[in-house]
Amino acid sequence: MTIPIDGFLEAVVRGATPLAFAALGELVAERSGVINLGLEGAIVCGALASLVATVAFGPSAGLLAGGSAGLCIGLIFAFFVLVLRAQQIIVGAAVSILGLGLSATVHRALTGGGASAIHVATLPELRIPFLADIPIIGPALFSQSLPTYILYALFPLVAYALYRTIGGVVLRAAGEHPPAVIAAGHSPAKVQFMALCVCGFLAGVGGATLVVAQTGTFSDGMSAGRGFIAVAVVALGRWRPVGVLLGVLLFGSASALQFLAQSLGWNVPYNIVLAAPYVLTLLAMAALRGSGSAPAALGRALNRSASLV
Amino acid sequence: MFTIFRNLLSGNIIHCRLWLVILLLMLPAFATSCGGDQEGRQGGAFRVALLTPGPISDEAWNGSAYAGLLRIRDSLGAQISHIQVRTPADFEENFRQYGAADYSLVIGHGFEFQDAAVRVAAAYPATIFVTTGGETVLPNVAALSFAFDEPSFIAGMAAAALSKTSVIATIGGTELPPVKSSFDAFAEGAQLLRPGIRVITTYLGNWDDMSAGKEQAIALTRRGADVIFQNADAAGLGVFQAAREGKGLLIVGSNANQNNLAPEVTLGSVVINVPHAFLLVAKEVQSGSFKARVIRFGTGDDVVRWEPSPLLAKSASTTDLARIDSVQSLMRQGSFLPPGRVTP
Repeated sequence: MTIPIDGFLEAVVRGATPLAFAALGELVAERSGVINLGLEGAIVCGALASLVATVAFGPSAGLLAGGSAGLCIGLIFAFFVLVLRAQQIIVGAAVSILGLGLSATVHRALTGGGASAIHVATLPELRIPFLADIPIIGPALFSQSLPTYILYALFPLVAYALYRTIGGVVLRAAGEHPPAVIAAGHSPAKVQFMALCVCGFLAGVGGATLVVAQTGTFSDGMSAGRGFIAVAVVALGRWRPVGVLLGVLLFGSASALQFLAQSLGWNVPYNIVLAAPYVLTLLAMAALRGSGSAPAALGRALNRSASLV
Repeated sequence: MFTIFRNLLSGNIIHCRLWLVILLLMLPAFATSCGGDQEGRQGGAFRVALLTPGPISDEAWNGSAYAGLLRIRDSLGAQISHIQVRTPADFEENFRQYGAADYSLVIGHGFEFQDAAVRVAAAYPATIFVTTGGETVLPNVAALSFAFDEPSFIAGMAAAALSKTSVIATIGGTELPPVKSSFDAFAEGAQLLRPGIRVITTYLGNWDDMSAGKEQAIALTRRGADVIFQNADAAGLGVFQAAREGKGLLIVGSNANQNNLAPEVTLGSVVINVPHAFLLVAKEVQSGSFKARVIRFGTGDDVVRWEPSPLLAKSASTTDLARIDSVQSLMRQGSFLPPGRVTP
């Protein structure tokens, strides 16, 4: 039996797409010194908002609305972390739980007691002429829906902004040594605030992708842990855009492999295949230990003088 | 107020713990209390509660249970309450909450609620705990048992009749015993009609991830599967989505009648008439005639049934339809059981 590799690679890219938005957002946040564990909440709220906006105004509005909802969740996180200077990990976990509960509650109210789901048409696959005809990788990379192509622009853009602009230097400095940012006349808290806005927006777009490009409907908890995986991907990718790209592809491959393995009827317990992505992460984290490192001030609350108010 | 709040949170580890307690306890409580719609608290009234393991918007397992709860309210004038629970610890906690509130009947909607029912039953003798699925019986614990494998067997025959590739598949949420036995019966039914047909069984590992449901369906179509029997609740909606977008993929729905979710690609549903079963139990409890037992429902009493869509009659050959009909009528008489049936 031949294994059609093209179907597998397409599934890798599709699976990696929502994750990539969230992980890019998390990368920006963590480079500014904040660990945002609230991604899961932003993703799931983004998913719901995109469904509602798609019904009203179409899928492009859906992507924007998803980003905006994610941004709102990001603002809640930013308020607790930057204004009240609460512990980032705890606020993040709480914001994720809040997002899951809030989206489920609003969805139930919208569907009138939750008896039936709302459906929208999903974005079509856009085939890019010629490029999509490249053997093996062509269909996987160039026959995808709109959000995937947005990512092709977003990865270089984020990399450029982080490493080649003054703003990027200040942002990275806030994550490494906040006093230096103050000395240069900037406010680390303001930098982190903007980073968290970007992070929330991108996570929300990731959630919107699940709806407008993949499933066409919403269900409670449909983010299914992707927010937490995105946080792991950033660490796995050693806080660099290229690393994050490889990380999301690794996770995309692992989940696509699980679908492939079961559909080939391999006689292995399905739970083992399902655990594969997580085992891979642990192995990769162990193997990469020591190469590159986390931003020095990551996760630390700013002292009073450096905070927003 | 704001200053107190701010000082409270400014980095001290003890205050951080307090923070943790406040936030983590407050938010999920907010989330679940919004989910449960409790009506009334006065004593004496007939009150019925339902615990579902997933969202009631799944148009399947959980949605049909909520429809059953509404039927109890409308037909018997019961005061109702519903709550969506996530973990086994929640099962027990919510059983206790309703027991303590003197609910007459509390339904845990799933095989997986049995252990929690056993643990709490003795503490609340006035409350009757019923699990949908399972075999556990105590003085105030009963189980609804559905012969889900019978219509699943018929569904397997129907799927085989419509498969052009001779490859069909199943997608389940997790490998719960009722799901597994249903899939086994589906495969047996397919083999009866088309000996040698390939049946691929897959599980997603969860019941929520619609994107995973869709991807699994796509991966199966790449291997040639052209009919998929899904039993994955909310995640199963992703399987329907794959069929809507895909070329020539047909779906068999489960638990609720899902024939109208995507009529152009659904060849039928394996239906449990949950509202009927719930109402029957609730009537007994209300009238005081309830006796704890395993309450069995089979094809004979139409509580579990194969619900074909118009697509099946249109596309299948008359020979195949006749064979399906004959097996079905034997099943109704009780003279045909799916092979490998474990429970009586």
